[in-house]
Amino acid sequence: MSALGLSAYILIWPVISAAVLAMLIVALIRDMREARRKGEEMI
Amino acid sequence: MQDSELFQLSGLTAVLLLVGFYVTTFLMSLTIRQKNENVDGYMVSNNAIGFGLSAASMIATWIWAASFYASASAGFRYGISGPIHYGLWGALMILFIYPFGRRFRQLAPKAHTLAEVMHARHGKSSQLIMAVSNLVGSCISLMVNFTAAGALVSILSPLSFVQGVVIAAVGVLSYTIWSGFRASVMTDFAQLAAMIISAVVIIPIIFFNVGGTEMLAANMSTLTVQQADFFSSEAFLRQGAPYLVAVLAYAIGNQTIAQRLFAVREDLIKPTFISATIGYGAIVIGLGMLGLLALFIGLEPAGGNLNNIIPQMASAYLPPFAIGLFFILVVGSLSSTADSDLSALSAIVMTDIYGKNLARGRPDPARMLFWGRMTMVIATTVGVIFASLRMDILVMLVFVGALWGAIVFPVIMSFYWDRISNKAFTSAVISAVAAFALLRFELVSLQGPLAVLFELLASVGGGIVVGLMAFGFFGKTTGMVLGALTMAVLAPFSVGFLRDYVVLISSLTAYGVSAIVCVAVSLRSSERFDFDLLNERVVAFQGEQT
Repeated sequence: MSALGLSAYILIWPVISAAVLAMLIVALIRDMREARRKGEEMI
Repeated sequence: MQDSELFQLSGLTAVLLLVGFYVTTFLMSLTIRQKNENVDGYMVSNNAIGFGLSAASMIATWIWAASFYASASAGFRYGISGPIHYGLWGALMILFIYPFGRRFRQLAPKAHTLAEVMHARHGKSSQLIMAVSNLVGSCISLMVNFTAAGALVSILSPLSFVQGVVIAAVGVLSYTIWSGFRASVMTDFAQLAAMIISAVVIIPIIFFNVGGTEMLAANMSTLTVQQADFFSSEAFLRQGAPYLVAVLAYAIGNQTIAQRLFAVREDLIKPTFISATIGYGAIVIGLGMLGLLALFIGLEPAGGNLNNIIPQMASAYLPPFAIGLFFILVVGSLSSTADSDLSALSAIVMTDIYGKNLARGRPDPARMLFWGRMTMVIATTVGVIFASLRMDILVMLVFVGALWGAIVFPVIMSFYWDRISNKAFTSAVISAVAAFALLRFELVSLQGPLAVLFELLASVGGGIVVGLMAFGFFGKTTGMVLGALTMAVLAPFSVGFLRDYVVLISSLTAYGVSAIVCVAVSLRSSERFDFDLLNERVVAFQGEQT
């Protein structure tokens, strides 16, 4: 594996982690809105 | 790089970070507190938690403090593929259990614990095997997480080990005790967000501060052939394969995962588990890369202890604010797992000890809730005492792992094959644990025909692992064909080879023996189980009443 490829291999994981967090936050906001609209508790 | 003094936060900063973290989580838990807590909600919420919260909770629970240290150790020891052989297999096991999880939910939608479903399927002995293994397992996990808190605090601040243990224990108990599982799920989201933000900041800073791409190019030659190989057989056989087999058992047997499975909205099980797989893998593999970077720069772990790799890297290559983030990262990971363990322990005592046994199926909700909260207090106390005494728990840990490995096949098949009886389940587990103990503690000498016998049993175990995975995703025929093919391919390679890999052969043998005994005893039985009975027998304790 080249040094550049290895750098990408090391740095890709924080990028994926950030993308997952963004997705979870969007999903949480949607769930909160839906729960408020239905007058239900989320948990 | 040689050993150097680790950077320490001031005592005041460490206390402020810990108190700030736990006060914030406590205040969050107050927002969902109910005057009269519903016992079902205390254990599994409303069985309809949304995607965001449930996926975050799965990831946060699956990641414990040891995940970072073990992944970094794998990167340091095995090189480029090391973190993959820790994080990827752990992640895939989350994915692997979702087809079975959907089946569990479909058959017993109102379940609180997997042991409770086993009680409905088989009776007391299989229920107690599940319950006791989880009680011991969660107490061990609690102790390990409190120990991690003590170690972190004593390494990165002037506070003592015991002070760190006590602060973490009191902090976790304070926000979990009132609302149980509901508080655990809610705070998991914030804890996971803190963990991810910390990881996203820390990993690139350390990468560039150790020299980035130029350093990698300059030091590539210092790696061994196996360490530089992305497809290292050494990394797979020593790290990946034993871990895969162990974590599969953990995924199926552990109540913290089962509890989330019973809590998420049923149609969201698949996206929840897929997202948790990706999230867990990215965070744990990413932090494992710090071990790989340590290998490249030639770091010498303080005291020869690989658990010191991440604190040393953080201390040497992070600015003070990022060390504070690292502190929160570890506290978040250990707290989210510890609160899940407390919730799991309370659910098992409430359901399997009190509800199904002491109260004989007619529990008083108020008393049930009291026992759940008392369980948390007692478990926390035990965890603090054991952590403070730094007790050696390796033997206990190995036994719990063996027990969970032995139950994987009987548990899964109990939900698909109507011939499996309580006798088949129990005898399979006992014989598999006995075979595991013989090998793992080297009570028999692995030589001659005996070694060949165990290598063949381990080959069967390998086939069972592959067969179960294929069965979950592609159905019975594919599962049986791939399982049989794996056994046939593995057998000739295993003989004369697997005896040198004690951890792997003992784990695989547990799978093989439990499957063989379970099938053999079941085939002799004329019993047939009606799966519709599970839904009738496993019901809510309190329903919608509050």
